[in-house]
Amino acid sequence: MARPRILDGAAQRLTPWLLPLGIVLGWQAASSAGLVSTRFMPAPLDVIAAGWQLGRTGELWANLWISTLRALAGFAVGGGIGFALGLANGLSRVSDRLTDTTVQMVRNVPHLSLIPLVILWFGIGEEAKLFLVALGVFFPVYANTLHGIRSVDPQLVEMGRVYGLSPWSLFTRVVLPGALPSIFVGLRYALGIMWLTLIVAETISASSGLGYMAMQAREFMLVDVVVLAIVIYAALGKLADVLTRWLERTCLAWNPAYRTV
Amino acid sequence: MIATALRAHDAAPETLPLWQPADRPAKEPPPRARQPESAATGGLAVTVRDLSKAFDGHTVIENLDLHIPAGQFVAVVGRSGCGKSTLLRLILGLEQPSSGRVVLESEAVRAPPKRIMFQEPRLLPWATVADNVAVGLGETGTKAERRARALSALSEVGLADKAGVWPATLSGGQRQRVALARALVSRPGLLALDEPLGALDALTRIGMQAMIEEIWRSQGFTALLVTHDVSEAVAMADRILVVEDGRVALDVKVEVPRPRRRGDPILAALEGRILDHLLQNHAPA
Repeated sequence: MARPRILDGAAQRLTPWLLPLGIVLGWQAASSAGLVSTRFMPAPLDVIAAGWQLGRTGELWANLWISTLRALAGFAVGGGIGFALGLANGLSRVSDRLTDTTVQMVRNVPHLSLIPLVILWFGIGEEAKLFLVALGVFFPVYANTLHGIRSVDPQLVEMGRVYGLSPWSLFTRVVLPGALPSIFVGLRYALGIMWLTLIVAETISASSGLGYMAMQAREFMLVDVVVLAIVIYAALGKLADVLTRWLERTCLAWNPAYRTV
Repeated sequence: MIATALRAHDAAPETLPLWQPADRPAKEPPPRARQPESAATGGLAVTVRDLSKAFDGHTVIENLDLHIPAGQFVAVVGRSGCGKSTLLRLILGLEQPSSGRVVLESEAVRAPPKRIMFQEPRLLPWATVADNVAVGLGETGTKAERRARALSALSEVGLADKAGVWPATLSGGQRQRVALARALVSRPGLLALDEPLGALDALTRIGMQAMIEEIWRSQGFTALLVTHDVSEAVAMADRILVVEDGRVALDVKVEVPRPRRRGDPILAALEGRILDHLLQNHAPA
């Protein structure tokens, strides 16, 4: 007897969530049974209640919105510069020779360790956070864009030249699409680093945002809010991943490797 | 169109051998070289004068002189490393000669383009088959016009139904056919073929040879085929050049009427002669 097709699809989509769900249920059971002190580890229901409370007062959404704006702004700046410089260094030998060594040296400095310096230079305003996020996002985008451009099949470039494609056409039809898979890898890394950097920056110096909310909760021993913040970070990370995968499926549909998702 | 060509051959006297080496002076005027009936596209005539090319001190081509009249189908055969691919690239302008000149002439008002078909299909994996063929057209005309021309080129090679698919889904033979359509879509005056059928299986290769020949007959461009397969050269070309040590060692005309039958004894004899020449330097004493 054949299982109905619709069940197979649903089963496939739900399987990745079995483990997290299991953990949450186990956690709740342990808390309810008194095995885990709620002072150290709040039960999932408490976390959900805290989330509901903050959602009702609007505090949660306001902080979430501010954090997202900061993250996207930093991503736009750092990603934009990284992309442009990656292109430039991939396409022009001169640009590469001038800037690559410097970039590689700066890359090896952990950007989070620069926080005291950043506070000194920029104060504790928005610029500091923007700078940190941009700096963190810059390197994966730069390195992967550069790699993508460099590893375009030279046979295809020769074909394009022989068939009379203008330099601009060559770039948009051969070089850029060829570099796209690598650029997406850079995008994924950058999104992860973006959230990480923002959260750390917000716990150090902020008066709004998710990191600030978590820090306040720590000050007042609101453990359930702290755990809530962590759950939100996880959800945001998953969301970023889902978005990137959707982008990849759309733009890289031609590649057999990306078709089985 | 074919009838007039056949009549030209009927006019030739029976006693003249159907192929004769170009270097031996003929007692009678040689049979009229086959002219393409539709010279609308106008093939490019190729003249090579005293051409030399060296890579890092190693001479690949040495003082080569050659003339290919418009519309002729020339095959260049030789051992690996003899310089035949280099000669092709020099004629197309992909490489610069160390000395000497390559001149391409056309009777048309605007010189038709030159195109090459590589050994690999070299299709853009991120573009559909139709878009890949349209690469050969550059930016000329509107998008709709380019698409229409691409589709017509695809139907010439029998792949009109695959216009919207990704190249990754095609077989090797189909990909080479798309590459052929891309080379032909801009109606070139010179089509260079750099061992394009080497990676295909034997039966697909024979089918592709017939297809290329048929399209050449109808479009009338000058065809320059580089191949290591002498039987392919003999089946397809009007004229065969054997390149050895950077020079043309043998220049033979093939005047067997088309369509040519596989297993034709005259073709087989010619093939044997060329192979003997190619192998003689390495035959045991």
